[in-house]
Amino acid sequence: MRRMTYQEALVGAIREEMRRDNRVFLLGEDIGVFGGPMMSAKGLWEEFGANGRVIDTPISESAIVGASVGAAMMGMRPVVEIMFGEFLALVMQQLACDASFMWYYSAGKTRVPMVLRTKFGVGPHRGHELDYHSWLIHVPGLKVVMPSTPYDAMGLMKSAIRDDNPVVFLEHMNLYHWIREEIPEDEYTIPLGVADIKREGRDVTVVATAMMVHHSLGAAEDLSKEGIEVEVVDLRTVAPLDKATVLASVKKTGRLVVVHEAWKFGGSGGEVAAMVAEEAFNDLRAPIVRVAPPHIPIPFSTPLNKMYLPDKQKIVEAIRKVLYK
Amino acid sequence: MALTNEELLSAYRYMVMGRMVEQAITKMKGNYHPAEGEEAVIVGTFYNLRMDDVIVPHYRGATIAYIMRGASLRRLFAGILGKETSYTHGRYRGDIWGPLELNIIGMYAGALGPTISLATGAALAAKLKKTDSVAVVSFGDGTSNRGDFHEAINLASVLKLPIVYVCQNNQFAVSTPACKALGCHSVADRAIGYGIPGINVDGNDVVAVHEAVQEAVKRARKGNGPTLIEALTYRVGGHMVADPATYRSAEEAGEWKKKDPIVQLQKKLINLGVLTKSRIEEMHKSMEEEISAVVKQAEEDPWPGEQVLGLDDVFAPAN
Repeated sequence: MRRMTYQEALVGAIREEMRRDNRVFLLGEDIGVFGGPMMSAKGLWEEFGANGRVIDTPISESAIVGASVGAAMMGMRPVVEIMFGEFLALVMQQLACDASFMWYYSAGKTRVPMVLRTKFGVGPHRGHELDYHSWLIHVPGLKVVMPSTPYDAMGLMKSAIRDDNPVVFLEHMNLYHWIREEIPEDEYTIPLGVADIKREGRDVTVVATAMMVHHSLGAAEDLSKEGIEVEVVDLRTVAPLDKATVLASVKKTGRLVVVHEAWKFGGSGGEVAAMVAEEAFNDLRAPIVRVAPPHIPIPFSTPLNKMYLPDKQKIVEAIRKVLYK
Repeated sequence: MALTNEELLSAYRYMVMGRMVEQAITKMKGNYHPAEGEEAVIVGTFYNLRMDDVIVPHYRGATIAYIMRGASLRRLFAGILGKETSYTHGRYRGDIWGPLELNIIGMYAGALGPTISLATGAALAAKLKKTDSVAVVSFGDGTSNRGDFHEAINLASVLKLPIVYVCQNNQFAVSTPACKALGCHSVADRAIGYGIPGINVDGNDVVAVHEAVQEAVKRARKGNGPTLIEALTYRVGGHMVADPATYRSAEEAGEWKKKDPIVQLQKKLINLGVLTKSRIEEMHKSMEEEISAVVKQAEEDPWPGEQVLGLDDVFAPAN
C-alpha cells in the first residue's frame, strides 16, 4: 500500500497509463518543467518529456482542445489539461459541439478517446473556482467525472483514459493536497458511471459530489450522535448518472438531499431530484431538498464567500428539514 | 512628445508608488501577481491619456494603472482584502477591478484574452459615438497566443477602430518562455498579418514606451486605426508571489534586474538635476508613510455583511 494525495493519485494514474499505452500523451500549459499548476503533472515531464509525450503549449485553449479532438479521431489518446474549469468557456465549441457528438453522428464509426482534465473549486486559493459541471452534463456524449478522494481519483482517471469517449475530469483544488489515503500497489480501475456509498445509513440519502461529499460526511457524523443515520452517496461520475444506486438508496431511506458546489438553479442536483421524483415518487416520504449556492456570481470577500457556499451546517439543516426535525 | 522634466518626475512617482503599493499587496496575498521590473511599460503606456480615453490594463500591474487614473488607494486596498469600503463592497477582488467611472475596464474572470475584445468594444463605442477618444489596452506575451488577441486586432483593423494594443512582453507566461510559445520572432511582427503598424520598443525605458504609445494614440484619434506595440521587458519575480521561478536561471533574472526601470529613471533625473539623493529619500519615505496609513485604514475597515450578498441583485433594474 502507498499513501497518496489526490494530486499524487491523479498524476500516478496518468503515469501508469502512459507507461501502459504509448498512444496516451499530454497537452497543456505549464505542464512541462514547471510540473503543472498546483503540481498537476509533476514528474511526468521528467519521464515522458524527452520523447514528446508531454507537450507544453502556448496559452491557446481552443487550439489545444481542438487539436486533442483531432488527434483522438486519428487514434491517439490525448489527456489535455485546461488549467482551470472556468476556461471551459473557451473550448465549449470543440468539446461540447464537436467531440461530444462524434460517435453518434458518425453512426458508430468515429471515436474521440480523450480526457480533458481541469481544476476548480472554492477554497483557499481564491481564484478560478467556478464549477461549470452542470453545463457539461446537459450535452449528450460527454462523460463528466468529479472524484472526492485520492482512491477514486486514481481509479477513475485510469478508466477515463481508457474510455473511448470524451471525458471531462474535474479536479477539486481544495482536495488536491489535502488528505492522504491508502492506495493499493496493484492496479485497479473504477468504472465511470458508478456511484459509491461513502457512508451507509437508513434515515436520509444525501447525494453529493467532490468537496461536498466531505461536508456531507461531516454532517452525517454530527447527526449520528443524535441517532440520525445518513447515507452519503458520492456520484463520482455525474454523467452518465448512476440512477440505480441513487434510487436504491432513496427506496431505503425515503428522503433525499442533493448537494453540490455549482449553482442550484439549473444545476445537476435538479436533474437528480427530477429523476427521483419521476422514478421513485412513491418511495419519498418528504419533499426533496437541494443544498447549493444561490444564483449569484461567487462573491470574493471571505464572509460573503462563506454565506455563499454550502457547508456542513447548511447540509445538517437540510437533513433536518426532510426529517421534519 | 518628449516628456518635460516635470512629467518625468511625475512618471517616476507613479513607478515608485506602484512598486511600493504592490510590495504592500504582496505581503497580504500569496497569489498576487506583481509587476516588479515592468513598471515602465505600465506607466509609459497609461501616462498622458485623457480621462475620456478608456484604459484596459493587463492584470500584471493593473493596480498601478488604476492609481494613475486616480483610483482611491484606500478603496484599492480594501478591495485586496475584500472589505466593504472597496469599489465593489467586497463582491469582487480589487486588484483587477477597474472602476468604470474612471473609464477603466478591468478583468472580470480568470481567462486571458477577453480584455482585448472588451477594449476593442470600447473603441467601437467611441467610433459609433463619433468622439475622438481612444482605447488603450495592455496584455502579456502569453495572452497574444489566444484567439481573442488575433480576432480582436483583425476586427479593429477592418473597422479602423481608435485603439492601441500594447504587449507588455515580460518574456514569461507562468513558466513558459515567450521564445518557446511564439512562432514568430516578436509579437509586433504579427501586426503585418492584420495590416497595421507593429512597433518594438524598450519596455524598461518609460520615455520610449510613452513616445511610442502617444504616437499610436495620435494616429488612432485621427481615425487612422489601431497600432500594435510590443514593449520588451522582463518579469524579475515569479508568476505570483508563491512561485520561486526555478524553471529559469537566476543569472538571467539578475541581468535584467540591473536594467531596473526605476533605477534607470532615477539616474536620469539626478543627471538632469531634477532630483537629488536626499530628495528621493524624502519622497520615498512620504510615499511609504502614505501607503502604510492606507493599509492600516483598510485593515480596520468593516467586512461586508449579508446585505452585500445581494441574492436578488443579479439583474440591473430598468434605468
